[in-house]
Amino acid sequence: MVTFERGKGRLRVFLVGEIDHCAAEGLRAQIEQQLKDLSIRELWLDFTQVTFMDSSGIGMVIGRYKTMAARGGAVFACGLHPPVDRLFRMAGLHRIIGELPEGGRDEP
Amino acid sequence: MKNQMELTFLSQPENEAFARMVISAFLVRVNPTLSVVSEVRTAVSEAVTNAVVHAYDTRDGRILLRAGIEGDVLTVEVEDFGRGIANVEEAMQPFFTTQPDQERTGMGFALMQSFMDVLRVQSAPDCGTVVHMEKSLVEA
Repeated sequence: MVTFERGKGRLRVFLVGEIDHCAAEGLRAQIEQQLKDLSIRELWLDFTQVTFMDSSGIGMVIGRYKTMAARGGAVFACGLHPPVDRLFRMAGLHRIIGELPEGGRDEP
Repeated sequence: MKNQMELTFLSQPENEAFARMVISAFLVRVNPTLSVVSEVRTAVSEAVTNAVVHAYDTRDGRILLRAGIEGDVLTVEVEDFGRGIANVEEAMQPFFTTQPDQERTGMGFALMQSFMDVLRVQSAPDCGTVVHMEKSLVEA
């Protein structure tokens, strides 16, 4: 499950539940659908309500990074719980994904 | 403590979550720490996802999840009877994937390796794959 919030030039994605291979395929399609709007330059991924993630989730994040990088945009993440944060680090995602403070309220 | 379980399910993506639930439930009796549960769940998820994604061309292939606890050691095996892996060593290299266009990261075996104490992969073309993992339930 996922909900979206649009801001100026920005899409916030609130991810919910478990992001595995099964869920990642649907998320990829839903987020890409939103990103068809080329005025979106920043993608914010909120992981606060994510209870599980494996390497399929990492693949999904890298895929969205590629979409945003291709248009000169950026991806930010927030609400990384320790197990998710650990995966982010193991995959080197901190090098390409900016981290927002908890709740992602502050401007990056 | 000594206990064992065995479960068979079909190669459907929805069964990845099912396999995680089963292994978590199996572990409840030994009262594991949250971090042990999280690591085992992730390793099982990676192994089952590999079987779902790679082993079969159809959604009705059989996948076996076997688990045992003996003393403080958990043993988990994920077995399929599908296409198998020609070069296991290559497949286990971090970031190796046959499906980059499907957003596969090639991190599966690397995560199993780092979250479990023992990882052994037995496979041959058209003879299926067995992923054998062990983990101490007592945190070092």
